[in-house]
Amino acid sequence: MLLEIISDAFFAAIAAIGFAAISSPTRRAFFFCAVIAAAGHSLRYVLMMPGMKLNIVVSTFIAAFVMGIMAVKISNYAKMPPETCLFPALLPMIPGIYAYKSFGGMAMSVLHSGDIEFSKYFYIFADNGLMCVFIILGMVVGATIPVFAFKKKTIEASDK
Amino acid sequence: MRTDTEACETSSASTDARLKECCLFLSEYSSALLGSGSTCMRLEKNVMSMAKALGYRVTMTILPRHIHLTVSSEDSNESITYIADVATLPIRFDIITRLSELSRDLVSGRVDLSGARREFKAIIGAKKIYDRRVVLLVGLANASFCRLFGGDAHAMAVVLLSTLAGYYLRRELTMRHTDMRLVFILCSFVSSVLAAGATLFGLGSTPEIALATSVLYLVPGVPFLNSFSDLIAGHYISSMCRLTNAMILTACLSIGFLGGLAVMNLSMFKLI
Repeated sequence: MLLEIISDAFFAAIAAIGFAAISSPTRRAFFFCAVIAAAGHSLRYVLMMPGMKLNIVVSTFIAAFVMGIMAVKISNYAKMPPETCLFPALLPMIPGIYAYKSFGGMAMSVLHSGDIEFSKYFYIFADNGLMCVFIILGMVVGATIPVFAFKKKTIEASDK
Repeated sequence: MRTDTEACETSSASTDARLKECCLFLSEYSSALLGSGSTCMRLEKNVMSMAKALGYRVTMTILPRHIHLTVSSEDSNESITYIADVATLPIRFDIITRLSELSRDLVSGRVDLSGARREFKAIIGAKKIYDRRVVLLVGLANASFCRLFGGDAHAMAVVLLSTLAGYYLRRELTMRHTDMRLVFILCSFVSSVLAAGATLFGLGSTPEIALATSVLYLVPGVPFLNSFSDLIAGHYISSMCRLTNAMILTACLSIGFLGGLAVMNLSMFKLI
């Protein structure tokens, strides 16, 4: 079990580095991104494990909250805006499969008529779309609360 | 000897020039910062603190394609308004970081206005490095993503290959200034057709996970995050604009993916 958690953290870190590279962060930010992503993604993995069985939205919110705290602490120390290491670290948790499935469902529900077929695809569209929206919302709210809560501190640190 | 009126006019002319220079700098700065993919919260914070340090007050309206910026003196006697186009740049976290550092330097007095303008030009002029290593990193990232969803080594290898091909295509097309929507459709088509090879040749035990995760490198994650961040900060117009943009790109991704699956005679909804 511990091995699974460590491998989840490891692969999440690689995913964060790679996806962050698309938006070219500073060289220093890569390392912080990887650390934050590894901690956050593995925390979400633990929260969603059979023992805890938390909902994906709730566990994403909690994980993002912890990542936000880490990013604020790191940004105070490294003197850079918290979101430049926080947003790339959040990328591996973006619900990509929900997003494209939702659009696929929408396209299919337009192409199919009849009660049963249409309802099936419309259900796929609504289910995946709602999950996608609420996962991202939970993620951003969770990650932003610490940035707001420590706002005064971050401003003071960046003014020094 | 100058008369009092003349002296007064000269000083007011120089105040005007400084106000103008300030407003021009702040509007260029805002345009570049927002265009590089910063949140509205970051933009307001940086611009407000710089204006305060320069001894002015600033009011701004952030619209999807323009920024409306009024800089006025503390006593509101003089004011200048600029409307700047938001620069159309790719998302660049390095530019956001360096522009934020610049605002900090200006506030702390380490650079003056003309120094800040020089440094701003240098930051904006720095070209994005289209490194081959980025293509490899994206490929590895998507392969790890496949592993996170439970894919085996065969699936990871297939995802690595299809992502390398897809991201290379995206890079080449973007450099030729192809429309982003077309780029997304073509790249997701290519990646999904290549990843369908795993199902076709029966590679490993999880070919469907390889197929489902093969296009995930295209999901516009940063625009989605920015959009929701603006929503929380109360910048609803900017939020809606960014959300629409991200949704259109996701729709294009789905179109290419559905097309690729149709060609390979597979269904999207039986994958995961």
